[in-house]
Amino acid sequence: MNQARPAMASGSELLACHECDTLQRMPALQPGQTARCRLCSAILLRYPKGGLDRPIALYSTALLLLLLSNSFPFLLLEIQGRQEITTILGASRALYDAGMGELAVAVFVTTILAPALLITSSLYVLLAVRLHLALPGARHALSWISHLEPWGMLDVFMLGVLVAFVKLGAMATMHTGLSLYAFCGLIVVSAAATAAFEPRLLWRQFARRTGLIHAR
Amino acid sequence: VHLRKPNSLTLTWALLLTAMIAYLPANLYPVMTVVSLGHGQSDTILSGVIYLLLNGDWPLALIVFVASVLVPLLKIVVLIYLLLSVQRKSRLRTAQRTRLYRLVELVGRWSMVDIFVVALLAALVQAGALATIEPGIGALAFTAVVILSMFAAMSFDPRLIWDNEEHQT
Repeated sequence: MNQARPAMASGSELLACHECDTLQRMPALQPGQTARCRLCSAILLRYPKGGLDRPIALYSTALLLLLLSNSFPFLLLEIQGRQEITTILGASRALYDAGMGELAVAVFVTTILAPALLITSSLYVLLAVRLHLALPGARHALSWISHLEPWGMLDVFMLGVLVAFVKLGAMATMHTGLSLYAFCGLIVVSAAATAAFEPRLLWRQFARRTGLIHAR
Repeated sequence: VHLRKPNSLTLTWALLLTAMIAYLPANLYPVMTVVSLGHGQSDTILSGVIYLLLNGDWPLALIVFVASVLVPLLKIVVLIYLLLSVQRKSRLRTAQRTRLYRLVELVGRWSMVDIFVVALLAALVQAGALATIEPGIGALAFTAVVILSMFAAMSFDPRLIWDNEEHQT
């Protein structure tokens, strides 16, 4: 087993595309390059610039922004001298209060829980690999990251905020809260973090550690 | 190694059919009711878009129309087409069908936008003010459509599209 190999695709390795099963040789990737299937052009492997440090920095920032965006007022509404304030959590809370428990859960999961889990578990796995620590459950965390990704709907929620603004703008004055700015930052940073993070690269590191990749 | 998704066709059909059943109440029942001064006004998904078109700006109305009316419908149609084409062992345009599948998987989550709007409106306009906003049954059915069709898209295995290619050559 050759441990001195660089942590990237080695060029002699065969890989079946996960979308069309075509068997092909993996090219050796340079930072910033992406390998696509030659038949169906599915992304086989990305090799983002900045190594592991860049996604770690971005996910840490995202975690901070997530905490900020959930701890201050999100939107303020003025209606005939009265003021109403809501937070992100308040949106799912209002559904719960209205007797729509299932809906409240769906909104809570997509706007708070899934993004929070995505950020923390990505950070956990990245740190485990970066610091060469055998943290418990790192493999499980890595395997559910890709399943979690579509359920974090921060960007969709932002569009909802925009629509709510227009709809209520007619009958009341709307103000933006502090959280809204943190939330906008969160969307940008987590998009950048996703782009800088390639879970498949980490799988290779796990596989290399146990010798699976060379065992054929 | 990516394992094949087991029972992909059956599971996708089941989820898709359930989503189709939920699609009717999702569009027929109101997603929310605005009650002001004892006078209630209900909004369905479509009437919400029309309201935006008349009172807001049309670009936003267009985005919401695409996200909450067009996308769920197209998603269901595309998934039915993909399932049927796999079962009829079609070999036509495999690459395009894969791209279609990728698009469907990517775009589905944007349909949740209407639910977020209802949640935000309900949170902002609370009881005690001049008006209250109550989420309706339609919102529940609509969320079911979005979530079920997302699961349906996930359980579909795009490799099935390419399987027939191999048998023939």
